[in-house]
Amino acid sequence: MHKALWVGKTGLEAQDIALATISNNLANASTTGYKKERAVFEDLIYQVQRQPGAQSSQNTQLPSGLQLGTGVRTVGTQKQFVQGDLNMTEQPLDMAINGRGFFQILMPDGNISYTRDGTFHIDSEGNLVTANGYLLEPNIQVPEQTKTITVGTDGIVTAVSAGETDPVELGNIDVVDFVNPAGLQAIGNNLFLETAASGAPAAGVPSLDGFGSIIQGALENSNVTIVEEMVDMISTQRAYEMNSKVVSTADQMLGFITSNL
Amino acid sequence: MDRAVYIAMTGAKNNMLSQTSHSNNLANARTYGFKADWAQARAIPVWGEFHPSRAYALTERPASDFNDGALIETGNELDTAIAGDGYFAILDAEGQEAYSRRGDFSVTPLGELINGVGQPVVGQGGPIVLPPYEKVEIGNDGIISIRPAGAGPNQMVAVDALKIVNPDLQNFEKGTDGLMRPVQGPAILPADPLLSVVSGFVEGSNVNSVAELTNLLSLNRQYETQIKMMKTADDISRSSERILQLS
Repeated sequence: MHKALWVGKTGLEAQDIALATISNNLANASTTGYKKERAVFEDLIYQVQRQPGAQSSQNTQLPSGLQLGTGVRTVGTQKQFVQGDLNMTEQPLDMAINGRGFFQILMPDGNISYTRDGTFHIDSEGNLVTANGYLLEPNIQVPEQTKTITVGTDGIVTAVSAGETDPVELGNIDVVDFVNPAGLQAIGNNLFLETAASGAPAAGVPSLDGFGSIIQGALENSNVTIVEEMVDMISTQRAYEMNSKVVSTADQMLGFITSNL
Repeated sequence: MDRAVYIAMTGAKNNMLSQTSHSNNLANARTYGFKADWAQARAIPVWGEFHPSRAYALTERPASDFNDGALIETGNELDTAIAGDGYFAILDAEGQEAYSRRGDFSVTPLGELINGVGQPVVGQGGPIVLPPYEKVEIGNDGIISIRPAGAGPNQMVAVDALKIVNPDLQNFEKGTDGLMRPVQGPAILPADPLLSVVSGFVEGSNVNSVAELTNLLSLNRQYETQIKMMKTADDISRSSERILQLS
């Protein structure tokens, strides 16, 4: 059969995955703490049909051979941990990390997951939880009758109770960082899990030793840029169309030979 | 049967090979740092104990298109594109140095700098390994400087430099793994300090999709002409058969 058929098929598959990534980015254009993804492609191996320098006759050599590529392959998707814009919300429990680092979240199964989404709430027991109700790690318990909560840039949480003037320290919010955040596994809910590619988490105090500082009353917007995604979508669509043209042309050629001979 | 049918057959067969090459270019229209392959046809006369009256078609890849692809802005601090001439030195699957324009770099947990397909990037003395950093900058001359974790903004340290080579493109060829290597002479090229890079960009594929598609369609028509020739050769031999028939 015509090789171009299979080559065109690999192109179609790759553009399909690219479009799925783009659409997921666009769908999360206003998700707090979302990090955009890009599909990474690689050319498949080449097959040597004719070696350069082969003898074309007893005394002559071919100056160049024929190497045919076999298409494209999606290596994977890569998260882009570029900082998103900070959106001031003035809510005391909204926090953003300005710089490197992740909040630690205790999952219901006891594992720790990581997030850049700092939309915290207080549950019925006074614990700081994410929008899904998962506990922040280390746990911060807010006493009843609390009037104001202040989170310092270094993660120290203090509260002033009604009728008091002296703030009480409630605890510290630690952040962790990874050598290769792009290697983290996204599990949805704005959460990430550690993998062999990301490396082990290194915990630290916010705003010290290279960790980002915590900004209270702000949220980190998604780092998706709509224009970039739209341009990507256009080029993906056209690339897809051209690859489908390859498949239909190859098909026409095979059809032509069967109908004419 | 007349030999014309075989000549038409090689024409059709080589049109198909050439089309595979163009469709591979189109499939890689969005692969970072990809260089398109040319395909050309050559007439090979058949020599023998008679005069060379026939010439067969032969498709070959004379070279790859070394023109630059479009620079795509990503804003990623490790993404690097070469401005103008030059190639990044990387290590292939066998640990040998090879060259590529692909610049979507990232860092492994051990600090090794790798490109998007996981090939280690070569610096001044072997693969680049970055110490833990808070911020990394790749300068225009390819020098990688980092702000070590915990250091102040005035403590940028240059740790390594990307090895960028300026190959003689006449003597440079794409291998079966898609990486470029010199054809003759030393396999390892020296770094050229005059070449420059831009960080925050990656180089896209240099495939000209319009040209590829047009070539694909024109090859399609050429192929159909060859099939018509085969049909005509068949018709001719059929009619000569009829002449010889005793009715």
